[in-house]
Amino acid sequence: MTKPLVPVTLMVNGERYDVSIPPWRTLLEVLRETLNLTGTKRSCGEGQCGTCTVLIDGKAVNSCLYLAIEAQGKAIQTIEGPAAGDPVVERIQHAFANKGAIQCGFCTPGMIIATKSLLQDNPKPSEDEIREALVGHLCRCTGYVQIVEAIQDAAGALAAKEGA
Amino acid sequence: MTYLRRLPKFAYAGPTTLSEVTALVADTAPGEILLLAGGTDAILQMRRRERTPKTVVGLKGVAGLDGIAEESDGGLTIGATATLAALAASPLVRRRFGLLAEAVLQIGGVELRNVATIGGNVAGALPCADLPPALMTLGAKVKLAGPKGARWVALDEFFPEFSRTAAQPNEILAAIGLPKPAPGSAGTYLKFHDRHSMDMTVVGVAAFVTWDAKKKAVAEVRLAYANSAPTVMRARQAEAVLKGQAPSDDALAACAEEACKETKPRTSWRANGAYRLELIRALTKRAIRRACEKAQARPGDAP
Ligand SMILES: Cc1cc2nc3c(=O)[nH]c(=O)nc-3n(C[C@H](O)[C@H](O)[C@H](O)COP(=O)(O)OP(=O)(O)OC[C@H]3O[C@@H](n4cnc5c(N)ncnc54)[C@H](O)[C@@H]3O)c2cc1C
Repeated sequence: MTKPLVPVTLMVNGERYDVSIPPWRTLLEVLRETLNLTGTKRSCGEGQCGTCTVLIDGKAVNSCLYLAIEAQGKAIQTIEGPAAGDPVVERIQHAFANKGAIQCGFCTPGMIIATKSLLQDNPKPSEDEIREALVGHLCRCTGYVQIVEAIQDAAGALAAKEGA
Repeated sequence: MTYLRRLPKFAYAGPTTLSEVTALVADTAPGEILLLAGGTDAILQMRRRERTPKTVVGLKGVAGLDGIAEESDGGLTIGATATLAALAASPLVRRRFGLLAEAVLQIGGVELRNVATIGGNVAGALPCADLPPALMTLGAKVKLAGPKGARWVALDEFFPEFSRTAAQPNEILAAIGLPKPAPGSAGTYLKFHDRHSMDMTVVGVAAFVTWDAKKKAVAEVRLAYANSAPTVMRARQAEAVLKGQAPSDDALAACAEEACKETKPRTSWRANGAYRLELIRALTKRAIRRACEKAQARPGDAP
C-alpha cells in the first residue's frame, strides 16, 4: 500500500519546512526523522517523562502526544532554537552547564524548553514553583537539585539583564 | 517496545465548524471515527491499538468550541475544547468556580494541561477522571450536539456504565454548563495518589456545601467520587444523611459510612477495595470539613 501522504507546512525555529507526511505521524517523529532535528528526544512515548517537550505557539507540550498535521500553521520551537538566535534558551543552557545540571544529558533539551516556558510566564519562580513546573520531566541522574539551582541561576541572570 | 510504535494508519479530517464535525460523525459505524481533542488519552489508546479508527476528526481547529463565558444568569459555559491550562488561568473560573480550578491543577503537569481538554476528560468516561466529580458537585450539565441540533443532559446521568456516556453515536460533547453557585457555598476536591504528581487517582472525592450561617449547619451538600465505582458517581444517600445537620464528628462519620455503602471500589494493583473504602471514609469527612471552612470564610457573599 502506498502511503497517503499529505502536504504539511511546519514553522520550526522561525524556518519554514514543507513536508509530505502520513497523517498518523506525531510531531516528535517528524521533527526527528523528517527534519533531522534530533535535539528533541524520545523516551517514554506517553507523556510521563518530558524529554520530547517543545513549544507550540509559546506553550510547552509533549510532541509525542501531538499530531504533526495539527501543528501546521503554529510556531514550533525546539532546543535547536539557539541556532536561530534565542538568547533566553542560550542563557538557560549556560546555567545548566555551569551548575552541573547535566549528566547524561538526555532529559536536558526537555528541561530547558520547559524552563523557557516557565520563565516567560513567571520570571522569578520560587523553588516550589520550579519543582511544580518540572513535574512532567524525569531526570535519572542528577536528583534534580542542580537542575533547580540552574533554573534559579538562569532566572536571576535574565532578570538582571532585563533590569540593566 | 510498544512505546516505539507508530500510530495505526488513519485518514485525518480537520473541520473548522461544529456543524462540519457533526456531519462527519453522522452515519458512521462504531469505532470508524475517533474524535481527537487534546489527544492525551486518544493518542495513547491508538498507540496501544485499543482504537484503530478509519478517520481521526481533529477538534483543535473548530472555531469557538474552546470558549469560557459567563452567562447573564451568572452561570458559566465552557466549550468542550477549552484546555485545562485555559481553565486554570481563567479569572472567572478561579474566582467563581474555585473547586474546578482546584481539580484542574491536580491533573498532570504543565505540558499535559496545555493540550488536554475538559471535553476529553469528561467524554472519555473513565472512572479515574478528576474533573467529573468536581463538575458533578457544581451541578454541571453537558451539551450534546448532533445532526438534529443540541440537547442538555445532567452530568449525573451522563455515565450509564464504565467507559460509556449517554451520548448517541452521532452526538459530540459541545459544552459544559455550570449554574451560578449559591451564596455561601464552596467546595473542594481531594485526590489521593501515590506520587506527589503525575499519577492516577486512587480515590478522588469532591464535596460542595452551602453553609447556613444562622443555623451553623450544612444547608446543602453534594458529594461525588472518582475511582470508587465503575463510573464517576454522586453519593446521594450520603448527602441526605448530612443535609440540614451541623458538621459534627458524628454527623460526618455517619455521612462517610453511608458513602462507603454507596460506592463500590474495585481492587487493582494500585490499591485493593478495602483500602479504597478506608480512603473514601477518611476523605469524605476531610473534604466536607474543608468545604465547610471555605464556605464559612465567605459568608453570604454573592460569589
Ligand atoms: C501523563 C498523563 C497524566 C494524566 N493525568 C491525569 C490526571 O491526573 N487526571 C485525569 O483526570 N486525567 C489524566 N490524564 C488523562 C487525560 O490527559 C485527561 O483525561 C484529559 O483531560 C483528556 O483530554 P484530551 O483533550 O486530551 O482528550 P482526548 O484524548 O482527545 O479524548 C479522550 C476521549 O474523549 C473523546 N472526546 C474528546 N473530546 C470529545 C468531544 N468534544 N465529544 C465527544 N468525545 C470527545 C475522544 O474521542 C476520546 O475517546 C493523564 C494523561 C497523561 C498522558
